[in-house]
Amino acid sequence: MAEQKKLQPDLAFVKGVMEAGGDTVNKCYQCATCSVVCPLSTDESPFPRKEMLWAQWGLASKVAGDADVWLCHQCGDCTKYCPRGARPGDVLGAIRANAIKYYATPRALADMLGTSGGMWGAVVAAAVLWFIVAAIWAQITGEAFPFPEGSIEFHKYLSVIPIDAVMLPIVGLISFVCYKAITAFWADISEGANMPRSFNGTYPTPPLGILVSNYIVPAVKEIIAHERFKKCGQTAERTKGHQWVLIAFIILFIVTIIVMVYADILGGLLGMEGFHTPLALWNPVKIAANIGAFLLIAGIWMIKSMRDAKTEEGVLKSSQQDWNLIWLIFAVGVTGVGAEIFRLVGIKLIAYPVYTLHLACVLILFLSLPYTKFAHLIYRTTAYVHEKWAQDVRAGKAGFGLEKPVGTDEH
Amino acid sequence: MSDKILVIGGGFAGLTAACEAAEMGYDVAIVEREDYLGGRVAQLNKYFPKLCPPTCGLEINFKRVRTNPKITFYTRSQVESVSGGAGDYTVKVKVNPKFTTPQCMNCKPGEEAATTEMPNSFNFGMDTRKGIYLPHPMAYPNQCVMDASVAQSDEGKTIAEAMPDGHVDLSQASETIDLNVGAIIVATGWDPYDATKMDNLCFGRYENIITNMMMERMASPSGPTEGKILRPSDNEPPKTIGFVQCAGSRDENHLSYCSYICCMATLKQITYVREQYPDAQVYVFYIDIRSPGRKYENFYSKVKADDKVKFIKGKVAEVQEGSSNNIVLVAEDTIGGGKVQQEVELAVLATGMQPTGAKVQIPGIQYDADGFVIPQEGIIPCGCAKRPIDVVSSAQSATAAALKAVQTIVRRAG
Repeated sequence: MAEQKKLQPDLAFVKGVMEAGGDTVNKCYQCATCSVVCPLSTDESPFPRKEMLWAQWGLASKVAGDADVWLCHQCGDCTKYCPRGARPGDVLGAIRANAIKYYATPRALADMLGTSGGMWGAVVAAAVLWFIVAAIWAQITGEAFPFPEGSIEFHKYLSVIPIDAVMLPIVGLISFVCYKAITAFWADISEGANMPRSFNGTYPTPPLGILVSNYIVPAVKEIIAHERFKKCGQTAERTKGHQWVLIAFIILFIVTIIVMVYADILGGLLGMEGFHTPLALWNPVKIAANIGAFLLIAGIWMIKSMRDAKTEEGVLKSSQQDWNLIWLIFAVGVTGVGAEIFRLVGIKLIAYPVYTLHLACVLILFLSLPYTKFAHLIYRTTAYVHEKWAQDVRAGKAGFGLEKPVGTDEH
Repeated sequence: MSDKILVIGGGFAGLTAACEAAEMGYDVAIVEREDYLGGRVAQLNKYFPKLCPPTCGLEINFKRVRTNPKITFYTRSQVESVSGGAGDYTVKVKVNPKFTTPQCMNCKPGEEAATTEMPNSFNFGMDTRKGIYLPHPMAYPNQCVMDASVAQSDEGKTIAEAMPDGHVDLSQASETIDLNVGAIIVATGWDPYDATKMDNLCFGRYENIITNMMMERMASPSGPTEGKILRPSDNEPPKTIGFVQCAGSRDENHLSYCSYICCMATLKQITYVREQYPDAQVYVFYIDIRSPGRKYENFYSKVKADDKVKFIKGKVAEVQEGSSNNIVLVAEDTIGGGKVQQEVELAVLATGMQPTGAKVQIPGIQYDADGFVIPQEGIIPCGCAKRPIDVVSSAQSATAAALKAVQTIVRRAG
């Protein structure tokens, strides 16, 4: 052999993959059926056969640099056709779970939120936190605590100001953690994709404007349309539920921003009269919010049913992280709608505790963005963006002195 | 107690076991489901690695059967049940009628009178035969037979009238006989695995996909194309041929085991192709080539040295139809990298061997989950009823089985 390479197997990595649901990885004998039956794998860089080998050999850095892991949507087609029962779909799911922990800072938070005890414990802790904040807020407003007098209006219990006082620092922290994770991930997958480095040793990144217009916007469009989900063979029926949940999140995000401007800035900061929640039911923003809530609950229920059925059929294996995310999203939806219904029917004793619980679920769901399976939102999106970017770089269409086509075999 | 030996199956293993036991002085009965002896080997064009025709090995065994009065055989017959124990078995054998007599060695007049064309199972349905037929040109016993459904119809009477007197006997009926034997050798062999079960390989959907056993019949001078390897869609010589290895074998969804012979069969069939078409390009898609032993390894090296033969390490998992009835084989080239979409004019699926016990099990004989026979005292499997093996190993296992059968009888008697 002309060139010898010494492999350094990372046994802890193999163990991690096996523990996270990829315990079948060692059954793989590299026939490559999976890469061919996969409806999403590309001709140039087929997956998941190579990932199976890297995981078996403990090549953690190879796997870390592999964006293809995130282009897998766990259709289960590979698992169905696998001649050895090596379940590549589940192994890639386990690799992703490991990658999320790998990029998470602090790692301990990922470990904690990764267990169902840890996650629900965090929800309870968050509920207690909101209760304490509400108690302090009641001292300032002079409202009765924990059940304010008069009609049920949640702003009397916790207005947007104390909510923002808790949430905004967490938003800042999570944004920072996500940014750090995404940049580390981007560097790793650039290395894995054999991207050329610039003179100072960094990987090329498009300028922000082009990044957004040429790569992020098309990627987000593709994600919202669920184009790849629709190609999945075994689990194609999952598309609708997942799409509903994603659209629900987008609607609820926009609604939250509008309400923040309306209640926080106009009502809170500028002290304008009447700019406080609850909005009337006929208000377009409220209508949108209720549609979002419906899509969220219905969508997550469809995902849950699909996962139940497919797990039963053996097409995919479901680990704790999968169920945790499903139930947390379900809890967000149900407590949200529950708080609204109990407010409307006027049952104070239930409405305020449910509202507290809703705020707790939202806080933990948001907190878990970079730490649990929820992180697939940021990594898969990044992988989509990077895939488009890498294609342009290879085709010599990326500009910035990279006009020469770059072959993957060049060093 | 009986010192007679029953051999179930008259293929290469069964014939060998029967001859060996008879030549040791024991009475042997062979029960064969087909109308001829020789089994799957009779359908082959050549053996690997010597590339000689199967008649050489079979003729020797037929001669041994013919000249040995201790061997009796029943063709078109099935063992219905086995009861009793080692040294003393009662075996029910159903002997089905052939509606002909042993002197019926030429059925031309009957064939001409017959009207119904039916798929010729000996050639895997690649051609047709009439209701009266010689099983195949080299058939032993050399006796024409009638299809039961035809014999019982009006067409049967027409055929009988066209044939010389005493050749056709429509009054024959099936009978069940009891055999008392001391030991049973199970040589029930194998069937090609049903290629339609691999839905992603599209056999049966596209015309120009055949199995390796169909290829044997095609390449055989007595086959449907008189030895010419042709595309089924237009009967043209294929310029590119793709072999798909492990089509159903080594696959938990189909046959969980390696069928052992398919790699060598493909290498052998490549020599058929290269001999007939010196310009043809051959592609072999494989997981790994299994050519055990010095002789097989040398054979593999020789085929590999041919620059018209390209080996691609990666299993075909998707098949599409290309232009002009061509077949597109899709695999990941795990050495070269990337997916390969190879268009070929003819695709050959190297389907594996499934023991007959997977479909038909004889009461009184034990089978494992795959349908292979589990040995018991007095019930001795050999050949592919025991495990997937080549012809040479089948013969060896048959000799060993004959010895064990004799031991069973001798020990019981002593």
